[in-house]
Amino acid sequence: MSLAAEAFVTQIAAAEPWPENAALYQPLKEEQILLSDNAACLAVQAFLQMCSLPVQVVYRANAEYMSPSGKVPFIHVGNQVVSELGPIVQFVKAKGHSLSDGLDEVQKAEMKAYMELVNNMLLTAELYLQWCDDATVQEITHPRYGSPYPWPLNHILAYQKQWEVRRKMKAIGWGSKSFDQVLEDVDQCCQALSQRLGTQPFFFNKKPTELDALVFGHLFTVLTTQLISDELSEKVKSYSNLISFCRRIEQHYFEGRAKDSTFRPSLIS
Amino acid sequence: MASPMELSCWGGDWGLPSVHAECLVVMAYGRFSGAPLKVNVIDNSWRAPRGSVPLLVSDDIVISQPAKILNFLRKQKYNADYELSAKEGADTLAYIALLEEKLHPALLHTFWVETDNYYTVTKPWFGSRIPFPLSWYLPGKMSREALNRILVTKGGPPFCSLAEIEAQIYRDAKECLNLLSSRLGTLPFFFGNTPTTLDAFVFGFLAPLYKVQFPKVQLQDHLKQLPNLCRFCDDILSCYFRLNLTGISPAGQDPIDANLQKLIQLVNKESNLIEKVFFHPFCDLLVDD
Repeated sequence: MSLAAEAFVTQIAAAEPWPENAALYQPLKEEQILLSDNAACLAVQAFLQMCSLPVQVVYRANAEYMSPSGKVPFIHVGNQVVSELGPIVQFVKAKGHSLSDGLDEVQKAEMKAYMELVNNMLLTAELYLQWCDDATVQEITHPRYGSPYPWPLNHILAYQKQWEVRRKMKAIGWGSKSFDQVLEDVDQCCQALSQRLGTQPFFFNKKPTELDALVFGHLFTVLTTQLISDELSEKVKSYSNLISFCRRIEQHYFEGRAKDSTFRPSLIS
Repeated sequence: MASPMELSCWGGDWGLPSVHAECLVVMAYGRFSGAPLKVNVIDNSWRAPRGSVPLLVSDDIVISQPAKILNFLRKQKYNADYELSAKEGADTLAYIALLEEKLHPALLHTFWVETDNYYTVTKPWFGSRIPFPLSWYLPGKMSREALNRILVTKGGPPFCSLAEIEAQIYRDAKECLNLLSSRLGTLPFFFGNTPTTLDAFVFGFLAPLYKVQFPKVQLQDHLKQLPNLCRFCDDILSCYFRLNLTGISPAGQDPIDANLQKLIQLVNKESNLIEKVFFHPFCDLLVDD
């Protein structure tokens, strides 16, 4: 989006209040969605819940192709369509809802830095696992990604996506990494998040911010998704304050919607 | 621990010990932690490594990539982060991720993709430190790799043209500079009075933007409006690298050498014309794709 277009969108957005019929689009949750997409969708859902903005979750097999950026999730609000957490946070802010307004400049810098840490390490590790680990690719990623399409389109699209992701991994120097090195990175990232959180309820004490939504989206997804090995979730499970952080957000923001089966894989046992 | 550690780096200019961000990170960390690194500046001889610079060699161990080299130095007891709390260690990791995601693409673009900068500064400079005929090939390869990295990481449906991607990465980079400036505030270093790993990374990424004289300087202009970041770079240069500038460089660069290098730079500039004619239309095709 160009600067002028962005300014225009912001102006329009500010003029209208949050409508009743706002919708969030994401891939089918039972048979299609992948680890990284699920994390992104959950992060946006958590963010909107924290802002107390009602949104109806719509599951579409072609959500990826409906999204303006080619990435899920996206929200449809009034006559606006906005995709991914960063732009959605901007959009919602233009409508007068913000979670990070109370932070000072240094805290805002810190929040942005930790959000980049999550994107740089956790998200990349999820992409690595689902597109570069051969066993996962064969057993989980290809069947799920191709599930809505007939043969041979299912294979063609899955291989196309795989090629795209592997090219990206190569460009950022992850192409030659082993799975163990990736797990080490994940561990380092979780350790940093755990240290930063300490004993506080949220990353910036009493009130959640978009960082809390993003971390929750990724960690909860890693913890509750059945993969061929549980090495990834074991890494997260060794940090007890991160587990209780996920539980806290699940209870506080998703409990009321317990009927919604998105959250069937509950942490509360 | 007793074995000598040799670091191969791209050399310096414009008052910098190295013009290459990653090399600068390792050199700065070496100074901060007191590690006795023997720095080998890459000249235009065949024996110098060029693939994965900076490169640390200690006995038979060879390590590339700044993060791995820093880890190795820490294991050798050269640690600049002794006094940091666990939370500050976590912050270090987070801010390095911020630099990687938000500032690195713009830095790559300024050096290797922006056409004016590449042909008048980057290509002649690096070309004169690479033996012929490799000097005709390698800078172009580095430029294509930088462009490829920017396209696959930042390109995508909402940004269809290179111009839109450029606008986005420079917007991100400026935001990143503002965030770093507010984080640093009036402190001498990011975690108080002593420099740490994070200072090495920030210095490594900022100093080339601040000092190298390019024809297109949009990020430099922005950086110069943030006096505390400029002061931060100047302080590290004057406190930790002054000896280097007076001590090592005259020995390595006698007048004949300097003249030779100028001549090589000139020849390389001429060869740009050839590359522009033959390769550039092809690059444009790739970009439009």
